[in-house]
Amino acid sequence: MNAKVVRKARQISQFAFFALFMYLFVQAVYLGASPLESDLFYRLDPLIAATAMLAGRTIIAGLLYALINIAAALIFGRVWCGWVCPMGSILDWLSPQKSRHGKQVPDRWRTVKYLILTVLIIAAVLGNQTAVIADPISILTRTMTTAIWPALRKMVFGVEGFLYQFDFLWPALDVIHANVLLPLFQGIESVFIAGIPIFLLFGAIVGLNWIAERFWCRYLCPLGGMLGLFSRGAILRREVSEACTDCGLCARECPTGTIDKSKDYASDPAECIYCYDCAADCPVSAISFPAHLPTKWAEKQPYDPARRDVMVTAAGAAAGVSLLGVETITRREPERMIRPPGATLTDFTTLCMRCGECVRVCPTQGLQPSLLEGGLQNLFTPRLVPRLGQCSFTCSACIEVCPTGAIPPITIEEKQATPIGLASIDQDRCLAWGYDTICSVCEEICPLAEKAIRQEEREVTDLNGNTFTIKLPYVLRELCIGCGACEYHCPAGGEAAIQVKTLPSTEAVIRGI
Amino acid sequence: MSQKKEINRREFIRKMGLAGAGLYLAGCSNQSKEALPTPIANAKTATPAPETPQTGAQDPVENTPTYGDVYLSVVRGEDPRAMAMRAIAAIGGIEQFVKNGADVIVKPNICTDYYPYEYGATTNPQVVAAIVQLCLGAGAKRVRVMDNPFGGTALSAYKRSGIEDAVIAVGGEMEVMNNNKFRKNTIPDGVDIQEWIFYQDILNADTVINIPIAKQHGTTRLTLGCKNLMGTILNRGQIHANIYQRIADLTSRVRPALTVVDGVRTLMRGGPTGGNLDDVKMSNTIIASADVVAADSQAATLFDLIAEDIGYIPAAAAMGLGTMDLTSVKVEEFSV
Repeated sequence: MNAKVVRKARQISQFAFFALFMYLFVQAVYLGASPLESDLFYRLDPLIAATAMLAGRTIIAGLLYALINIAAALIFGRVWCGWVCPMGSILDWLSPQKSRHGKQVPDRWRTVKYLILTVLIIAAVLGNQTAVIADPISILTRTMTTAIWPALRKMVFGVEGFLYQFDFLWPALDVIHANVLLPLFQGIESVFIAGIPIFLLFGAIVGLNWIAERFWCRYLCPLGGMLGLFSRGAILRREVSEACTDCGLCARECPTGTIDKSKDYASDPAECIYCYDCAADCPVSAISFPAHLPTKWAEKQPYDPARRDVMVTAAGAAAGVSLLGVETITRREPERMIRPPGATLTDFTTLCMRCGECVRVCPTQGLQPSLLEGGLQNLFTPRLVPRLGQCSFTCSACIEVCPTGAIPPITIEEKQATPIGLASIDQDRCLAWGYDTICSVCEEICPLAEKAIRQEEREVTDLNGNTFTIKLPYVLRELCIGCGACEYHCPAGGEAAIQVKTLPSTEAVIRGI
Repeated sequence: MSQKKEINRREFIRKMGLAGAGLYLAGCSNQSKEALPTPIANAKTATPAPETPQTGAQDPVENTPTYGDVYLSVVRGEDPRAMAMRAIAAIGGIEQFVKNGADVIVKPNICTDYYPYEYGATTNPQVVAAIVQLCLGAGAKRVRVMDNPFGGTALSAYKRSGIEDAVIAVGGEMEVMNNNKFRKNTIPDGVDIQEWIFYQDILNADTVINIPIAKQHGTTRLTLGCKNLMGTILNRGQIHANIYQRIADLTSRVRPALTVVDGVRTLMRGGPTGGNLDDVKMSNTIIASADVVAADSQAATLFDLIAEDIGYIPAAAAMGLGTMDLTSVKVEEFSV
């Protein structure tokens, strides 16, 4: 087959898979509206599958799609990286004008991705998934959710808001707003505590492209490392024929810099991403990717991790997991670490793979990726920040979308009976308690049929000596489910005068079931 | 390998200029300015009115004589749709309020997506649909139904309440309230507040029809017509600083042309959100009047209360927005 055609196909494939990623990203908030699962890319991700199952000590059927990806690696090598991975595609597209071949980066650095992979696997075996935040799909999902898409929304809505100053445009703008912008961006302002830090991490990964093209994929990506291991047994491998004129073009063009001039332009199947750039541009068509059967394990490279490196890293990972044990959260839950609904019923931190899907689908955007509120070990795990968005009473979006069951598959009725936190009133700041002001917002807003917030009456006298009755709210612990509707709507300025705090540990049950 | 061409200076400046202009436009958007009078589409340009829906002999409108001089009608019965139609016919028919080609906005109470309408927290969808249908029959150019729910999203609450399906079935539109269309407006008659941020379309509409559901409410004891208008504004929390007077002030600005109180299922406790069918009483009553204060005063009696018990009713009456003395006006009761 003509190599230029294959390269074109690869470029189309990258675009198509990125478009699919974005489609899934947008439609994720319309649960059940699409025939495709919104976590499709996660399901195809063998790194996620391995760590989630190892840490959870269970087989998660939905993640077994990842076997397809491994099978593909055993045939085509790192075809995922070159043709599918939306993160890889972005790195391809956001490359410097004059490509850098990373000659100043020693080849030894390629070992790093295997060592990161080792850390992830060993930590998962020890029940910790903190480092899974390095998975490329999760990096992209998280960045898109908390930074890129909200920023795009701000930009689009900013222009829209400008146009809305002209009244005669309203009929046209209303149509666009209702049919295009609202379905794409939803009705609420997107704010994320971790948005900027998450974007800076992503920006750093893109920035590394200026040191070497696809720096992330070559040296750091643990998924690339994992697929690289399988790719060493790939059937289709790059081959350079006798026709080669030693022009050196392919070595200069290779986006992963794996073509070695000194070795007759041979390449490492664990590094080659099957992009076909070399084959398409070879002036004498000397490069092809024929099948090698029976397949042989690829030649060992100097940067392949030595057994000693792996052992040391594994020991380091174990030590690291132990080190995380010094964090205070292992003794006391922080009072504002409210987890998604039902998470009190599972071993949440072990099962959560920080994929960010729950954060994406939360219609109030009360679910936020943590920074260090729960310690480093809980970096980017979801927590409810009720002041930014309540846990909507009739919504079970996060429950439906969670790929690992960290948020367990409970029914909506069970969810409505499962406390996730407990509201408490700051009487000094409450308008009614502290300032004798008539206010019942928290009581009104409480979604429970029996109202977990009740009021007692008290006679008060104002400055003019007038006596009147006000109602003072109080919380019924036995009823409150900690949804945070009261906190979100509390009219006190800044922090709410009623706040949801971590549940007493005895309350971690589904009530009445 | 990428073969992108080098960007030259001119192109760079051009692109930066475009980006800068975009940012400037974006930056302009947050300024809220005083609303200017907006030309309202006049009847000449309006599309032809749809025909009055003909639903045959069972349609109460066909056979009901109008009582043009009735100030407030109270209709009891089992069929909310028929009751709503009779209540409006009794006070002179919808044509009193909706002119041919009019832009009509209907404001039901769709407070949350927590529970369906049987729980008495959101306006009965049949009542809303009946009124939308009447408006379209009277030649309204456009009938939009909207509220600004505080629990769940507008879309989920519209759906859950049953109002979306009912309204669309009779040819009305549901509008998700758009932040861009909230503007600061003066309240010329305001006692406590002289300006607030209102949904401009509601102030601009030819006719605003207010369809509250009557239900218990923690702060104000009852949610009725005046209170329902809190769905037309932003910064609802700040209304609570002086809630009775401020609700009256809002009412003075919105001045709904017609108020229809849904008293079919009245939520006696656990409001305004509800959730327990035991708290719902079948009161089977619909009240209609052009006078929101009178309608609210009448509705209070469904809860064995009087107008003076509901702080915002006397406040609104004191501002001359209507009467709470129901003995001074012609009130007629009907059964269907």
